[in-house]
Amino acid sequence: MKLKGMDRMNRGLKVTAGLVFVLSVVLAAYIMVNHMGLADGLDFGAGAYYYADIPEFDRFVSACAYETRIPSWVIFGIFLLWGAAMYRLWVWIDGKDK
Amino acid sequence: MVGKKWYSSEDSAANILGFVMIAAGLIVALTGADFAAFNFSAWRGISELSVQFSGTSLHSLARTFAVLAVLFTAGAWLKGDNTLRFFGGFVFLFVLSVIVRLISAEYEASRYLEWAFFALFIGLTVSNTIGVPDFVKPAVQTEYYIKTGLVVMGFSVLFSNIVNFGLYGLAIAWFVTPIVIIFMWYFGTRVLKLNNDPFVITIASATSVCGTSAAIATAAASDAKKSDLSLAVSISIIFTVIMMVLEPVIIRWLGLGELMGGALIGGTVDSTGAVTVAGTALGKLGQTTAVLVKSIQNILIGFIAFAVAVFFTSRRGNGKASASEIWTRLPKFILGFFAASLIASFVVQPVLGRPFVNSVNKLLDQYKNWAFVLAFTSIGLSTNFRELREQVSGGKPLILYVVGQLFNIVLTFAVVYVVLSGKYFPLPVIAQ
Repeated sequence: MKLKGMDRMNRGLKVTAGLVFVLSVVLAAYIMVNHMGLADGLDFGAGAYYYADIPEFDRFVSACAYETRIPSWVIFGIFLLWGAAMYRLWVWIDGKDK
Repeated sequence: MVGKKWYSSEDSAANILGFVMIAAGLIVALTGADFAAFNFSAWRGISELSVQFSGTSLHSLARTFAVLAVLFTAGAWLKGDNTLRFFGGFVFLFVLSVIVRLISAEYEASRYLEWAFFALFIGLTVSNTIGVPDFVKPAVQTEYYIKTGLVVMGFSVLFSNIVNFGLYGLAIAWFVTPIVIIFMWYFGTRVLKLNNDPFVITIASATSVCGTSAAIATAAASDAKKSDLSLAVSISIIFTVIMMVLEPVIIRWLGLGELMGGALIGGTVDSTGAVTVAGTALGKLGQTTAVLVKSIQNILIGFIAFAVAVFFTSRRGNGKASASEIWTRLPKFILGFFAASLIASFVVQPVLGRPFVNSVNKLLDQYKNWAFVLAFTSIGLSTNFRELREQVSGGKPLILYVVGQLFNIVLTFAVVYVVLSGKYFPLPVIAQ
């Protein structure tokens, strides 16, 4: 009984994934063929995967675009604390129910 | 048994090559010498294609080949490989990589698809039709090229970007990212029961951090299979094209405004190029906000890859691994990647300034790209279609990506709404 349910769920997943795959490929192809979503004056798009691949990337984000009164060390501290807490959570979740 | 020399492992060779490239980049940027790696300019039609092979271009291409061939063959020698056999195979691999880069520089294609797509396609086509000649096989070393490229890439991961958007940026980029990764880890390993942990973490970081570059780094850190990386990157590439176009449309339809819309795009669209273009579709403020958030996500690659390496290293073997065991087993190229990032952020940038670091990265970026193109072409050459079909696992990887990306969008939207709607916190002032 349980196996039958699992089979049905797996088949459902397969069909859903197949539909999503076909739809997304067709949609991506349609977008590319019709040159949709590109910006005039920008010679790149999704093909530039990393910031260093974009020519003169700094013109898009000046270091002083936003200025905060909060000291850098506070931001670094929160960054590291949150990262450490999330790492512990990941390890805990991974170890649970094993 | 003769003990192995410290430099003979693949990771050590990658670290040595990476730092030689970085040192060369620093010297060249200081002296102003010409060391730039060859890069095809965008072309449309046969007439523009033929210009790509003018005298100057051929000279630059020959220099790029010489630099990469000497470096990677020297690395092969360090690893104890047969250098003559490696070099023979490398010549063929480099020629294939030139074809990949030429095709991916086509004007329309380059604006939507990354070279990774073409590298996989051409590699797979060769390996599944005519087959890979035996003399090429010694140079088909995916991990070697990836690890070297990653150490070079480390220099462009600047920690100072963390403060770019103050606590707003930290909340949008850093609060959400690990939660999405953990959610996708749980969903992939426990709900979908995918029996391939490295693949789950590779696709989770591609979704939540920044697409291809994060996938490359975490795949190497978790020792994922080549087919894991190629599948994660392929899925990310297709959906990045769709999200780049649809997200600005939906954001305008919802009336979110440029500030919140830009932040949402920066936090959810995978590739940096797509983020910039999609943000631009909203307006100047949308563009700046999107790029500010993405610039924070770009530096997360180093931390995530390090955490993934420690996590997977400590799970290996029986029982809890001690700190010294983790240190011994830790893939050492991650340390090279992190060290390069620390040196750029805390030594070179404070002493010589951000414009200098940018000029070094401009030089190094193309060498890094060549290393990654060699890697992805190698993946294609060493993968067969049956392997890829098995990898698809009844559609579960695609379901994992879609559900994870939806979760990423919903959570990022919630955080963006809380911090940037002006209802709970004062709105940030962003210079445009």
